[in-house]
Order: sequence, then C-alpha cells, then structure tokens
Amino acid sequence: MVDFGIPIGAGIAFGLGALGTGIAQSKIGAAGAGTIAEKPETFGLMIILVAIPETLVILGFVVASMIMIMLV
Amino acid sequence: MEYAYVNARIRAMKSRLLGRPFLEQLINKPDVDSIIADLERTTYREELERAGVQFSGINRIEVAIRNDLVRAFRAILGFIKGGEEENLLTLILQRWDVQNIKTILRGKKIHAPASEILDCLIPAGELGEAALTELVKQPDVKAIIDLLATWGVPYARPLTRNFKEYSETRDMLVLEYAIDTFYFEHALSILKSRDTEDNRIIREMLVTEIDINNLRTVFRVIRDRMDREEAKKFFMKGSSELDTETLYSMVKTGTLEGALKLLEPTSYRFLSAIPQEYVTAEKISAFEKELDRHLVRKGISQFLGDPLSIAIPIGYIWAKYAEVTNIRIIARCKQSGVPDKELREALINV
Repeated sequence: MVDFGIPIGAGIAFGLGALGTGIAQSKIGAAGAGTIAEKPETFGLMIILVAIPETLVILGFVVASMIMIMLV
Repeated sequence: MEYAYVNARIRAMKSRLLGRPFLEQLINKPDVDSIIADLERTTYREELERAGVQFSGINRIEVAIRNDLVRAFRAILGFIKGGEEENLLTLILQRWDVQNIKTILRGKKIHAPASEILDCLIPAGELGEAALTELVKQPDVKAIIDLLATWGVPYARPLTRNFKEYSETRDMLVLEYAIDTFYFEHALSILKSRDTEDNRIIREMLVTEIDINNLRTVFRVIRDRMDREEAKKFFMKGSSELDTETLYSMVKTGTLEGALKLLEPTSYRFLSAIPQEYVTAEKISAFEKELDRHLVRKGISQFLGDPLSIAIPIGYIWAKYAEVTNIRIIARCKQSGVPDKELREALINV
C-alpha cells in the first residue's frame, strides 16, 4: 500500500518554508523599496537583504528532498 | 498602508538629519554668513537657494529652515495618504495650527508688526503659509476670528464662543484655553473610537502635551498669585497622571517648591533638577523650557517604539522640529552675539 505520509511531510517541509520566505520577503522588499527611494546607493545592499530569506525555502527544499530520497 | 515601506523611507530621511557634531560646527562659526555657507552643504541647500532670492542673513536661514520643515512634514503626509494613519498624523500636525493661531492672536493683542508675527509661525499644519499671512494681515483679534469662521476652520467655534469673555477681561488666556481645550478634546474623542497601537501612541503624546500645558498654567498661577479657584477652570482634562485634583493641590501649596514636591512621584520629577535660584526667583521660563524639551525628547524617543507603527513618523516629526529649532537658536544667538556657553544651554539636547 502506498504511504502518503512521506510525500505529504516533504510537501509541508517545502511549502511552509516557501510561505515563510514569501512573508519575510514582502516586508523586506517593501522596506527596501522605501530605503532605495530615499537612498538609491543602497540598491546592492537591498538586493542581498531581500535574498537572505531565500535560505528558508532552500532549506525546506533540501529537507523535502532528503525525506523523499531516504524514506521512499 | 505598508508601514515597512513608509517607515524605511522615514528612517532614511532621519539618517540625513544633522547630528550633534554638525551643530557644534555651526556653533563654532563666527557669523551668520558662515553658518549659511555650512548649511548649503546639507539638505537645506535647495531651500536656502530659494530663500536667497528674496532674503539675506538671518531671514534667509529662518525662511529656508521653516520651508524645509514644512516640506518634510508634507512629504510624510504624502507617504501615508489615504489611510487611517493620515488622519492620526494630521491630529499631531494640527498642534502647529493651534500654536500658530495662538501666536497670531497674541501678536495682534500687543500690536506686534506683521513681519515679526510671521517670523514666529510654523506653517506645518493644515493652515498653510498663504492662510497664515492672510490672518496676520487682519487688523485685530475679532477680525482674525471672523476670518477663521468664514473659512470654516473648526477653531473659530471655541474662539467665537469665548470672545465676549475675552473682550470684557482682555485676558488672552481665555481664548488660548478655549482653543487648546477644543483641540485636545476633539483629538482625544477621535482616538477613543479605536483601541489600536497607533491610537495609543498618539494619545500618549497628546496627554503629555495636556500635562505640559497644565503645568505651565500651575506655574503661572503660583507666580502671578492668581485666584486659585479661578485657576481651576483653566486646567485641561484628559490626563490620569496629573488630574485636576493633583493640579489644584499644587496650586494650593502657593509656592513653586511645594508644587515641585507634589511632582516627585510623577514622571515630571525631572523638574526638581532645575537650580534652586530659578525656583526662589520664580523664573518660570526655566520650567517652561525644560517642559518643552521633555515633550521633544518624548517625541523623538518614539523612534525606539514599534518599527511597524506610527511611532516612526512621530519620532521623525519631533527630531526634525528639534533640528530646525536648534539651527534657529544658533543663528539667532550668533546674530545677537550671545556667548557660546549660553547658546549651548539654550539648545534642545536630544
């Protein structure tokens, strides 16, 4: 019988990570846009700051992959 | 409205405010022209150039910094346009409308020249420079109130209601109290409707202003030996820390020392640090200055509040106000040759 628990677990690990990244990036992006509007020289720094929450979704992806590879 | 965007812009604007080292640099300048030269290297450059067309010397600085302040406040209102937050911030900016109307009324009462009255105004509220100039042109107090009523400015109502009493007593305190009470009651009633973090922050600032106005009244009543019962009607309601009973008890002591003792358990105990010679000589200007500084400090301390709330715009408004006030003090002191030590004491240290 197919065990649906494993792919669902992998999906949650990836999905929640992506959701967290989205929320964080929306706030950082808005603040970054405000900062760049006043200080255009901070553009490079803002790109880095907006990209930092990407680590969450990458970690989620790694965990999801490990679940799928090791447990299936 | 997205606070993350607005507050990031405001924080960036704050980073361009002139710090203490720059003010020290201005203090060390020998005259007004070298202060202008230094200010031209800052964000005030644009306004200084504009003002330079019509004015020179101290007037150029006065006009430039005033216009810069108004432009900064208008920019913040522009960021939050359309939301509930705009109404809240307008409540705070309206304090400058009240202050301007009071200044014009006082000026007219003592027949001060129009140019002198205009110099003391800060058109940061809803009444712009054109409206204020028109008010200053009026021949007397009655004409000012009538013009406000014609424009439909709400402050005309309390002034009209109390004009009869003013014309009988010629006491400007009657009109000042009327307009202050109207402003604070109106603002607090709006804030009562919703219990949000933003409303709490604005309410806290307004209550501080009410306390400061009431303390000024207490000190004046004690100094001028006014009728204590008469004074009671000039206390504004709205503060739980310094309620009418506490204020009346302060007045009943009859001395500044006694009043200060009653302030010990409150957040205004810092007034006890004022040198004894000012207390003995009943120089209440020292107390008023300290209270003004307290209000500015409290406003600026909002920067430490919730970064995603109205605390940041409020903090900026007061930080900008302090900067403009300090530049004005430095320029005026340099103009009249006040010693640097006294100049430093006059500054708002934040």
